[in-house]
This record gives sequence, structure tokens and C-alpha cells, in this order.
Amino acid sequence: MGFWEVTKQLADGFGVILIIFGITLLCSLPLGLIITFGSMSKFPPIKWLTKTFVWIIRGTPLMLQIILIFYGPGLIFKMNALPRMTAVLIAFVINYSCYFSEIYRGGIESISKGQYEAGQVLGMTKSQIFFKIVLFQVVKRIVPPMGNEIITLVKDTSLARVIAVAELVKAAENIVSMRSIIWPLFYIGAFYLAFSALLTVLLNFLEKKMNYYSG
Amino acid sequence: MKKKIISLLMCAAMCIGLCSCGGTTSDSGSGPSDGAGSSSASDWDYIQNKGSLVVGITYYEPMNYLDENGELTGFETEFTKAVCEKLGVTPEFQVIEWSKKELELQSRTIDAIWNGMTVLEEKRDQMAFSTSYIRNKQVVIVKTENADKYTDTASMAGASIAFEGGSAGETAATSDDTLKNCKLINCEAQKDALMEVKAGTADLGIIDYVMALASVGEGTDYSDIKIIESVELTPEEYAVGIRLEDTETLAKINAAIDELAKDGTLGALAEKYGLSDVYALG
Repeated sequence: MGFWEVTKQLADGFGVILIIFGITLLCSLPLGLIITFGSMSKFPPIKWLTKTFVWIIRGTPLMLQIILIFYGPGLIFKMNALPRMTAVLIAFVINYSCYFSEIYRGGIESISKGQYEAGQVLGMTKSQIFFKIVLFQVVKRIVPPMGNEIITLVKDTSLARVIAVAELVKAAENIVSMRSIIWPLFYIGAFYLAFSALLTVLLNFLEKKMNYYSG
Repeated sequence: MKKKIISLLMCAAMCIGLCSCGGTTSDSGSGPSDGAGSSSASDWDYIQNKGSLVVGITYYEPMNYLDENGELTGFETEFTKAVCEKLGVTPEFQVIEWSKKELELQSRTIDAIWNGMTVLEEKRDQMAFSTSYIRNKQVVIVKTENADKYTDTASMAGASIAFEGGSAGETAATSDDTLKNCKLINCEAQKDALMEVKAGTADLGIIDYVMALASVGEGTDYSDIKIIESVELTPEEYAVGIRLEDTETLAKINAAIDELAKDGTLGALAEKYGLSDVYALG
């Protein structure tokens, strides 16, 4: 099997990674903010419910969550299972929302009280202060930790294989087992490196763009 | 007060979000299972209503693999298609992780395991086996340069041995008095056992004969690995795995296998894929 044939087959696996990556990011970014509001709520039941939820999700392996979401319904309720990809996406979105929510919380809490007070002096409402003053400063501050998490997400996509979704690592393993050649397994490292290089460049660009409020 | 109202609204939004998630899951699940999961309908009705038999496979030559054009082919592939044709349902091949085959079967994400699966006594309380159609054996593989060192099981004492966890290879290793005291390496799949031996991280590997024939020797990346022909471990049989409660489906599959064996279709398939030596229903 030639280099291009292998690359072509691996491209399918890379496509799966892009889908998991894109949809997880798209859904988790806003969902994470909702969870942040929950865990910062002044109303104790919501606060503790959210915090417990975040603890459970952050405290168990993502691999276990994927297995539970996919096999759970059939085993426990005798229901028909979700499509494999859907189960993976649900697990990833929930998991990453929780991690993002904690990064958001850190960002929001780092904004000095003076900013809120200034908003109040100008006669702004609570939500005006949050969306017009605080949020932009938060976004700027959380870019580095979010970048960390986003690059981790690229590599976490390989967990989808536990329920036999043919992502990149699984695609390479299929070639290894069928064609009795080993090199594709190491070749996929180049795909991950290229993708994370692209993301690093994008994130750096974003950080430069957000150079407002400096000084 | 305002804060409380906002947080309550947030809570409501979250609840709606969660409910709508839950709603869609149960919707997609309850539809088909109404006809299937209820106790009055039989297991075969469930499969017939779906119109398809979902078969769990892994890519593995010569059983189920992709040919040059990327089409699924192999002994088990054609065998499954022939049986499904007799049963009047469409086969749907689903690649699974082999180590989770029981989980897949019990959670109804697949209906049958049809992939050169070894009949193991200790698995009989987890699944029902069809008529067995292949008689295989486990063999020991070794790097060609070390082949002289290992001629019988006694000489393997103290070596490190890789095999697929939960497979017949593991049973072969742990049931032999000498081998079970060796350094045992429990791998994810048979191909990982090959890789362990190739990389020198294990001295020996135990895989099944059919797999060994197809993957080691000239023209492969494992050309420096050979089968130790003088050592024969436990003989084994291949069969289809079905959920324990699916008795009607099992009976239908067995009847179809019987017919295919009698009219020679299955024997011809075995010959086509070089399995005549191990074919059990000839």
C-alpha cells in the first residue's frame, strides 16, 4: 500500500476529528458560559447543583463518559442506542463545557471590583455591565488557558475509538491490522502536529488582536 | 432580588436545555423499541421489524477486511450475507472494539458477533453460540532469529508472552502450567501481540493460526516473525455469538448455516479464502 493511498484513507479519520473538534467547540463555548452562571449563582441550590455536576464530569474520565452515554441506554433501559458519533459528541460537549466553565469563572472573578463600580456610577444595569465592560476583558484574559484546552481537545478526539468511531488513530490501526504495515501508526502524528500548529498560529493571532485595554 | 430572578431564569434555561436533550434521546430510543423491547414481541420480531441484522466485526484478514477498492470482503462477510439472504434481512456490518463485544451485544448496539469468534466455555453465560464452523488453534509466534531457542513449551519458561486480553490466546497462556508462570502481557488486540514481538517488547506472542497465516512471513512488515510449528496450543472452534435471550434468532441462524453447509456454499467459501484446512462442516 503506497503513501498516497494510506494518506487518503487517513484523511477520512482526520475528517472525523475535525467534526468532533468543530462541533464540540461550537457547542461548549456558549454552554460553558451558562454553567459558569450556574456555579457563580447567588442562589445556593443552583450553585451547589452546578458545582456537583462539574465535579462529576471533571472527576471521571472522558472515556468512561463516552462508554456510559453510548452503552448505558441499551444496558439499563433496553432502549436503542444513539448513533455512535452522536454519543461521542454529547460526551465531548458536556465534558468540555465543564472545563470551559471553570476557565470562564476564573476570568470573571479576576476582573476587579472597580470595573463594576465604574459601570454603576455610569448608571448601567447589571447585564449592561457584564456584557459591555466585563465580558471583553474576560475574553482577553482567558485566551491562553482556553488555547491550552482547545489543543488538548484535538488530541482527546482519539478517545472516540472506545466505541469504535473510526477517528485518526483507529483509522491508522485499521490499516496496520489489515495491511500488515506499521508506519501509518506513527505517520498520523504529523496530522496532529500540523493541526495544532495551525491552532497555535490562530490563537497567537487572536491574542495579538485582543491587545486592547493594554497599559 | 434581581439577582435571584436572573439565576432562576438561568436555572430554567438549563432545565429546558437538559430536558430537550433527554427528550430527543428517549424519542429516538422509544420508537423502535416499542415493537422490540416489550416482552410480548419475540427476539426475532425485533430483528425482522428492523429489517437488518447488525453484525459486529473487526477488520481482520481473511475473515472481514477491506479489499483494494475499499469494499468489505472476506469469509465471514460472504458467510453473513448468505445467511442473511436466507433469513430475509439485510446484514449491516458494524466495526466494533473487540474487547467490548459483550457490551455491544447486551446493549443491543449489535445483534450478532460474526468475526471468527472462538467458542469459550466461560463466555456461555454471556452469549449463545451458533453451530461452530471452523476448527482453529492457537499458535506461538517468535522472531525468526530467536526461533531456535523455543522449540517446546518447557523452553518458554521465563520468557515474556503477549496475547489479546479476553481472547482464546489468553486462555491458552493461562491454562498451560509452564506458560502461566511466564511474564504475561495482556494486549488490546491480536495485532498488538504481533507488534510486541516485532518491537522486541515481548519474546513470544500467542495468536490464532488463521490470523498468523495471513499476517506473518514474506511480503509483510512481520517478515522477521515466524510461527513455532512444533508447539500446538488448545484447539478451538469459531461460531457466531448471539444474545442469550435471542433463542428464536439463534435457531434461524443455525438452520441457515446447516443449509449452506449441506449445499456446499460454505465449503466453497472456505476454499476461496484458504480456510479449507480448518473448515469444520465439510
